[in-house]
Amino acid sequence: MKKIMRRLLTNPTSLLGILLLLGFVLIAIFAPVIAPVPERSRDAYMIPRDGFSTTPQPPDEEHRFGTTEGQYDIFYGVVWGTRTAFRIGVVITIFTLSIGLVVGTISGFFMGWVDETLMRITEIFMAFPFLLAAITMSSVLQTVYGRAEAGPIVGIAKLLALVTFGHNPAEQVDPIQLQILTGMSAIIIFGWMTYARVIRGNILALRELEYVQAARAIGSSNLRIMTRHLLPNAIFPVLVIASMNIGAYVLIFAALSFLGLGAQRGYADWGQMINFARNWIPSLSTHWYIVVFPGVAIVLFVLAWNLVGDALRDILDPRLTGSRA
Amino acid sequence: MFAYITRRLLLLPVLIFGVTVLIFALLSLLTPYERASLYVTDIPKRQGAIEGIIEKYGLNDPIYEQYYYWMVGRKDPDTGEIKGGVLRGDLGFSKVGKQPVSQVIGRKLPATVELALWAAIPMIGIGVWFGIMSAIHHNRPIDQALRVVSIAGWSIPTFVLGLLLLMVFYANLGWFGPERLSSWAVRAVQADDFTRYTQMNTVDAVLNLRPDIFLDALSHLVMPVITLAVVNWAFMLRVTRSSMLETLRQDYMTTARSKGLKERDVIRKHAVPNGLIPVVTVGGLVIIGLFNGVVITETVFNYPGMGSFLAQAAISLDVVSVLGVTLISSIILVFGNLIVDVLYGFIDPRVRLE
Repeated sequence: MKKIMRRLLTNPTSLLGILLLLGFVLIAIFAPVIAPVPERSRDAYMIPRDGFSTTPQPPDEEHRFGTTEGQYDIFYGVVWGTRTAFRIGVVITIFTLSIGLVVGTISGFFMGWVDETLMRITEIFMAFPFLLAAITMSSVLQTVYGRAEAGPIVGIAKLLALVTFGHNPAEQVDPIQLQILTGMSAIIIFGWMTYARVIRGNILALRELEYVQAARAIGSSNLRIMTRHLLPNAIFPVLVIASMNIGAYVLIFAALSFLGLGAQRGYADWGQMINFARNWIPSLSTHWYIVVFPGVAIVLFVLAWNLVGDALRDILDPRLTGSRA
Repeated sequence: MFAYITRRLLLLPVLIFGVTVLIFALLSLLTPYERASLYVTDIPKRQGAIEGIIEKYGLNDPIYEQYYYWMVGRKDPDTGEIKGGVLRGDLGFSKVGKQPVSQVIGRKLPATVELALWAAIPMIGIGVWFGIMSAIHHNRPIDQALRVVSIAGWSIPTFVLGLLLLMVFYANLGWFGPERLSSWAVRAVQADDFTRYTQMNTVDAVLNLRPDIFLDALSHLVMPVITLAVVNWAFMLRVTRSSMLETLRQDYMTTARSKGLKERDVIRKHAVPNGLIPVVTVGGLVIIGLFNGVVITETVFNYPGMGSFLAQAAISLDVVSVLGVTLISSIILVFGNLIVDVLYGFIDPRVRLE
């Protein structure tokens, strides 16, 4: 662990990534200082508007990055969007990883028909192209949530609302939040399979080792062997992969938002802000700021994760250890 | 090898069955009213008409019966005509496309295939070249620079890159345009003297000996192709690089050098052919992946393919269309993966798939 950190900090590219990430963390923490919330705002994540004119306005003293169509302040959106990005990335990672852990551990531990069944199900989910599946899922969920009574499916949204926004599950989910949760659930439902497979592989390798047999010999229960002996040893590489996927999740969610299936209009979310630019393609040379500022924010955010992830994968790739080629 | 292929083939029906069940599960989240467009093109406004349709097509029947109707079709009790039935190629009626879903897909698929095939050329060509250069100069500045460039490309959302290209080359310079053809070319390809052999503009233009249309189609492909290539370089680079690095450390490389071969020849004749074997597979997978990865690219450039249709249908919550497209794409993906996996076994004699 220490060795890995040292290599990450000495490699110029991963160091750049880490510095960028630190910058984003600071922006997220100090968002209320950098871009103060207007007094009459109902929700700090809704970008304040300055009028209702459709034409975007270029940057000036009041709006440092200009305003989009509908006069949403771009600077405010970019700053608060940092929080949204971290939130989305982290929560999606937690959920996909948890599903993957449960499926992978059970599959690898019990083997036989349990393994066969679970792995076939995993393959079925993998048969769907990821982005397509996410788009499909969000349009289905939006249709379902759009009805007055959504039935048991609303449970998923409530659980996500609790983890993401600390929302009380006994109350109705805020419609503004619901739309973000829809996009997130879509990504989660089709995003857990890699983790399940990697965990399963690790567990399969570990379960035959002496210390596991020893645990079984002294009469440990299956659950105890799984949670105390197997998982802690199988989880580390997966945690690393997962943490590096935060960037990828933010990218995919931004794509959903850009299509209009993620965050709601006016929410502080980078993908959603760029969605406004679609109406201004022929005049983008004058209204460049509606793409460039939120675009740079996403690129730097994802780049930071990918720079660290790329270096990390090189460090952890056993085939390349000791290579001097 | 044989056992592996047999197992894959035996599991194929299971996989396809699973895919249809999952799609149907999503369909069944809809109300019977919303599902009616699986069977009828236009829902009459008349009072009570919708109840009749729900009754007629069994949209309130038990779920496993509905799955059966959805797969093989449902006979209209009045006219005796069979409606629906995925196995009959009927995916329902698209509200957005105002046509049966299967017809819309048939109309839009060639455009997407054309885009994907053109995009594959620079994506794989340049990506692999980057990977080879990166491996040869492992950990030296060239390696670092190429990797940063590729990772940067990978980190750019497709829509941001697409919009930036539109900003520079369309809004500012006016060199390339969105969509598939200029308006004069659209009229030309619709004219009687132009035969649509494949529905792919570039191919048809060549077959019809129309260089002007070929160039017009190509100029409309430039921006989406660049977009797809740039965002995918990193992946090709990574695969090529790590496979080349492994090859470069083999003993036969030392042998080749100690025979006195020039470094150039060592790389060209010994390292590259062996190092590129895994790249063949990945290249295949990437091309298949492209058919599905074009949703955003097509949307940004207003390119009328499967992807932009899917996006449009999804936003309009035309779930029947969305699920139809997803079903077809998944089936393409499943078969594509199978073919690539099997080919890999033949290309690389060292691979013994168990």
